[in-house]
Amino acid sequence: MNYTLQTLMHERTRYAAGVGAVAFSAMLMALQFGLMLGLFTITSTPIDRTDDRNVWIGSKDVQSVDLGRPIPLSHIGRIGERPGVAPPEPFIGMFASFEKPDGGTDLCFLLGSNLENDSAGAADVLTPTLRKALTEPYSIVMDESDMKRMGLTKVDQTAKINGKEVRLVGSVQGLKSLAAPWVLCSVPTARDIATAVLPADNVTYLIARCESAARAESLARELKAEYPEMTAVTADKFSLNSRLYWLFRTKAGVAIGYAALLGLAVGAVVTAQTLYAATMASAREYATLFALGIPRYRVYISVLLQAFWVGIVGILLAYPAVLGLAWVAEQAGAKVLLRWEVLAGAGGITLMTALFAGLIALRSVRTIEPMSLLR
Amino acid sequence: MTDRLSSPSLRAVRLMKTFGDGAQQRIALNQVSVDLMPGELALLMGPSGSGKSTLLAVLSGLLRPESGQVLARTDHGEADLWSFDDKAREQYRLAHTGFIFQGYNLFPALSASQQLEIVLRWGCNCRSGSAKRKSEEMLDRLGLFKMRRKLPSQLSGGEKQRVAIGRALVKNPQFLFCDEPTSALDWENGQQVIGLLREAAHTRGATIFVVSHDHRMLPFVDVCYHLVDGVLERQPSAAALAAVGRED
Repeated sequence: MNYTLQTLMHERTRYAAGVGAVAFSAMLMALQFGLMLGLFTITSTPIDRTDDRNVWIGSKDVQSVDLGRPIPLSHIGRIGERPGVAPPEPFIGMFASFEKPDGGTDLCFLLGSNLENDSAGAADVLTPTLRKALTEPYSIVMDESDMKRMGLTKVDQTAKINGKEVRLVGSVQGLKSLAAPWVLCSVPTARDIATAVLPADNVTYLIARCESAARAESLARELKAEYPEMTAVTADKFSLNSRLYWLFRTKAGVAIGYAALLGLAVGAVVTAQTLYAATMASAREYATLFALGIPRYRVYISVLLQAFWVGIVGILLAYPAVLGLAWVAEQAGAKVLLRWEVLAGAGGITLMTALFAGLIALRSVRTIEPMSLLR
Repeated sequence: MTDRLSSPSLRAVRLMKTFGDGAQQRIALNQVSVDLMPGELALLMGPSGSGKSTLLAVLSGLLRPESGQVLARTDHGEADLWSFDDKAREQYRLAHTGFIFQGYNLFPALSASQQLEIVLRWGCNCRSGSAKRKSEEMLDRLGLFKMRRKLPSQLSGGEKQRVAIGRALVKNPQFLFCDEPTSALDWENGQQVIGLLREAAHTRGATIFVVSHDHRMLPFVDVCYHLVDGVLERQPSAAALAAVGRED
């Protein structure tokens, strides 16, 4: 290992291309994964911004929070009074047409919930003041990053949703949207706005808060067994389902994954070529060792160690760049979630790719013969 | 001991090796037989393309002859190198042979001592400390102790070749095969290299086989052979050898 590191340091210009390619691969992959995770976090915001001990009850086979169909409010009776479970609350979530003050239209997603301070369905970013303000009929709140897009510049401006005039009573942070801005309101406001598509006495979800995450899991199991025609799922699971839905069904995640794969392939090819060239540059030295009877596997290990260290150095160079670029992306409004699993995963996969490149470069060692030293 | 020194350590018996086919065929070794003795510095001379390097390669286990035997004396008697499989021949080379080539072939990133250590650690599974100690002892014997931490780029041509000799000798081989070891050196450094090879033969009892064009080596060797068109002849005297050298 010592010899390998010494060689890498001494001939750093020779290995620079491989290290650069590995760094590029790791950087691309971490950013792509981070963006993907950030993107899919946005898709599950209404769930993630509420209590993680909640059980979400909706129509059959709901795969993502934005795909819920109306269910009768009377389903509350199905839950009834169960130990460790608070009385369920109604929740309305559906797409609606937003008419901007200047006349343009856009799509928004209504999130109508109870607004008490301990409400299970109200987003945690809502302050008591905002909750109180939302109790006024036809008042709404949205993320401040979405206001400009929806033609709103200040509180108290009015717009129309599904033809009904609404008033912006405040803004929050941390509710960024992907396609349609999240619009927070009360259940009655949501029901009045959605009256054309939401039958009377229907809601989109019922949310039951449990005393613990374990109780939430058992409640979801109980309801699923008792009422297979409706969905009952824990907040964690529903959040994951929503993200996976966007990942697989929309192909967006597949496209990002594909780009990361291309980055890996480029990294692997350049690294393999760098190691191959470096090994061939030392072909006479290795041939001398082979003449002396040094087993070939020793040189194989050396080349693989070179690949390992090229990978490690590349990854270590990539991480600061990833953090810097993620910051730039955040400034541009994109959410990049660089969890440790993302950084470790990207690093691990990149390291495996570098080792794979090392395996490819081993063919150079097989071509080295001591006879080549005798003229 | 006397008996061991008076019998050959390596015997080549009727070696044949050709290159090419048909009209293009060239005979590199034509029924070559030779006995190499322990403690002897043997020189092989001959015109370019006469088959010198081919003979060195066949004797050292690097190139398979078409026929004939290379019988090496081992603890269990004589054994034909070319009856071994590749793995056994590699192990034989590791245990018994050293090589010095015209080029120094030193790793640019490794110090003089590490060039020797790598052989002991990778070849003989020596521990780091032991490999370092043995390597430094060898460099000391070669007059290179002060240079032990220098990289090849910081050494002269003569010093590099002495490091290469150290690398070949550090595992204490029974045979040392040298291909044009002085060709890239001035005479002062060349003499020093020849002196080291003589010492290895006479004090360590190694069999040293040198292929060279350098007739200045003649007065220093114990025996000289001449190879022309694949036919080997032993030269009778130093004077005659010198004459052969001048012809080259």
